[in-house]
Amino acid sequence: MRGRVLLIRLGQMVLVVLAVVTIAFFVLRLATGDPARLVNPPGTPEEIITQTRERIGTDKPVAIQYVDYLWNAAQGDLGTSFRGAQSVANAVFGALPNTLSLAGITIVISATLAVALGALAAWRPGSILDRGVLVWVALAQATPAFWLAVLLVLIFSLNLRWFPAIDMAGWRSFVLPVTTLVVTLSPILIRTSRQSFIETLREDYIKAARARGLPSWRVFAVHGVKAASLPLVTLIGLQLGFLLAGAVVVEAIFNWPGIGKLILDSLASRDFPMIQGGILVAAVVFVVLNFVVDMLYAVLDPRVGAARA
Amino acid sequence: MRDLLNLGALHRRIVLPAVLCLVVVACQGDTAGTTTTAGAETPDTTAAPATTEPDTTETTAPPATEAEDGDGEVRFLMAENFWADWVPYSSTALSQKRLERQIYDYLVDFPSGDLSQPEPSLATSWEQIDDTTWEFTIRDDVVFHDGQPMTAADVKASVELASGFSGESAYALTWAPAEVEIVDDYTVRIITEEPFAPMLAELWWTPIVSAQWLEGDEGDLATTPNGTGPFRLVEDSVNVKTMEPNPDYWQEPATIDTLVWEFIQDPQTRLDALLSGDAHAIDRVPPEHLEILEAEGGIELVGVTGIESVNLFVAPGRLPIWDENPDFRRAVNLSFDRGPLVENLVMGASAPAGSFLPTNTLFYQEQEPPFAADPEGAMAALEAAGVPDGGPPFEIWVAEGFLPRAVPVVEAMVAQMQGIGLNPTVVTSDVAGLIDDAFSETGTGAMYHLSWATAGDPNQAASVYSSAFAWYFGDEELDAMIAEGRTTLDPAEREQVYADLQAHMWEQAWHVPLYNSDFTLAHVSELEGILVQPHVFRTDFYPASLSD
Repeated sequence: MRGRVLLIRLGQMVLVVLAVVTIAFFVLRLATGDPARLVNPPGTPEEIITQTRERIGTDKPVAIQYVDYLWNAAQGDLGTSFRGAQSVANAVFGALPNTLSLAGITIVISATLAVALGALAAWRPGSILDRGVLVWVALAQATPAFWLAVLLVLIFSLNLRWFPAIDMAGWRSFVLPVTTLVVTLSPILIRTSRQSFIETLREDYIKAARARGLPSWRVFAVHGVKAASLPLVTLIGLQLGFLLAGAVVVEAIFNWPGIGKLILDSLASRDFPMIQGGILVAAVVFVVLNFVVDMLYAVLDPRVGAARA
Repeated sequence: MRDLLNLGALHRRIVLPAVLCLVVVACQGDTAGTTTTAGAETPDTTAAPATTEPDTTETTAPPATEAEDGDGEVRFLMAENFWADWVPYSSTALSQKRLERQIYDYLVDFPSGDLSQPEPSLATSWEQIDDTTWEFTIRDDVVFHDGQPMTAADVKASVELASGFSGESAYALTWAPAEVEIVDDYTVRIITEEPFAPMLAELWWTPIVSAQWLEGDEGDLATTPNGTGPFRLVEDSVNVKTMEPNPDYWQEPATIDTLVWEFIQDPQTRLDALLSGDAHAIDRVPPEHLEILEAEGGIELVGVTGIESVNLFVAPGRLPIWDENPDFRRAVNLSFDRGPLVENLVMGASAPAGSFLPTNTLFYQEQEPPFAADPEGAMAALEAAGVPDGGPPFEIWVAEGFLPRAVPVVEAMVAQMQGIGLNPTVVTSDVAGLIDDAFSETGTGAMYHLSWATAGDPNQAASVYSSAFAWYFGDEELDAMIAEGRTTLDPAEREQVYADLQAHMWEQAWHVPLYNSDFTLAHVSELEGILVQPHVFRTDFYPASLSD
């Protein structure tokens, strides 16, 4: 039974990836902008443009290009960049670990912060501590990532010279981009965590545990944290999409060689293979991580696993 | 704290979209003259103005020898995307041309930027034998990066392909088909069907590639340039090109150990990288960063007026009254003031357009009277055009992240145009969308804010208005003059042709001339000897050095 569920889930994942790739493929073709025109002077005669299209393969009907793309992608060939004939697979798989490391550290710090601050705030709702956390959440939520990133560079790179302004080189280079992303990501996690703790602490079984004489900290840490983390896990799964391909601004400002920046740089030149490759890999990673999150959810809440089975 | 606040104020503007200079160029130059021996005599050209990562692929270039006592790595942050691959002569993307100059050599050079002063490079001497034949003697001590010696066969293969004689070439737009005869291993004759005045200037931007390489695998051609230049490509990714010195260079090897050209879209990121010491040089410094850099110690700014015309290019057939009515064209040209746009928005070393040929172009002549804001004259011209109400509505397209401050420039122009009754609207797009609209049958725009960069020869600058390009309005007189300028060898006669051509273009005003671009590069003071010229924004890192 469990095997069948897994198989269905796997099929769903393949369908999601296929849908994402298909939408990306056709949206790119429908959008304005002919890559063949971008490597030639504006106004270049049509015969030269046609030659360029033949060279990069955009002269074929879109349906043929689509079938070719899927066929090649299924065999692991993501094509070559229009911009320099580099292998898309090399570029995308080179960028993936950089994005994953940035996203991973951000998630871990954000989740830890969310649980800690959410718990502190929920411990005494309405207290000064709670209000302080809520003010912090409101401030962080209202802070644009691009503004914060530049401010951090200005203070910590250009003025104090503590951390590098750009690039990914050593642990110090993680500090500013991760800080920016944590500040962007954590408010919603903290708010969710706080609410979840408050609701959990009102549950009958928590009251029962307290009535049995269990120390408050134990009730909170053992029963409360576990129950309150469930919505957090779901939310983190959803935020992964933002971090995988959506943290473009942060990657651009810090010249972080990740997937978001790769896609952004490729958009301007309508480098279709590179954009598609980036989106495909981001989609695969996203559905796989979401699957892992779902599994984690089932572990944290056995009722979910039982219901699915 | 005060410093911090000051810097904060200066960093308020964040422009994420890139400054992408797609303006593409085919290169060019002047020449003429009769007999010329490089280094001894110069062509008798006259009136030449004195001008001022992770996705890395290792290339198959032979391993570099570690330079002893080298200068270390130099990192140059480009504002332009790397649009093209390395297939020789397959594109005229500006960024590619600039990059190629580090890797390839050329038969001749104009190191002073003065197109009347050619200097030897791969060619040691040359002579114009008759109107259509040039003979070049080339160096016998040059080897390609793969170790093969350079001979006349390589020059033949390169010039014939680039000029469109033996195959498809994007360079052929400005070249004349040229057959090359091999006299001996180190002597060639370049023969054109018609006299070709810009021969030397065209060769200035035609890289000499290996004949054997050209016949090889197409994949290698696209990914592995094999030149004779001071640097060779060792790592190639979509945004980063890493080069090392060519240890077998025919001149002194470069002292920079590693030269990195990297595309970074965001000007703020480029600025931060330079100020924090993460980069040694950045280009296309936007005007809002000039003050910061000027105040910073240890940074040098090199600003030149680019040989680049920024126009409102008008698409033929989209706005019938424009095609048919010179008074309407005049009204548009008199409707706004170029000076304040340049002074307050474009800034830097930019300059208002005084001709359809860019400043610093050979035979450039300032046209009189210049187009200046003359609301009364513009309204009178509208009256004469039969459209006192301002005529039909039309769209002016402008790309964000393409030319610096493009959108505010166009918005300011449009406001002034509307002031005299014209009916333009601004459409903002990215550059790909703009180009698409300009040339697709379903395009709706009438005018496009675009630029055209050249290497300084008037043939190159004028060719964009010729029948070879889509901006042509069927002006046969203009087309004939462009052809005449290309085939007129006598410098005095050629100068007269371009004088007439510029006057004709100013009078007809098929497009709306705006300004010549600013090209400002900033680098750390320790980096010395970068050659920066306005000609196709040349930026050579040989023989630059990085002091301690």
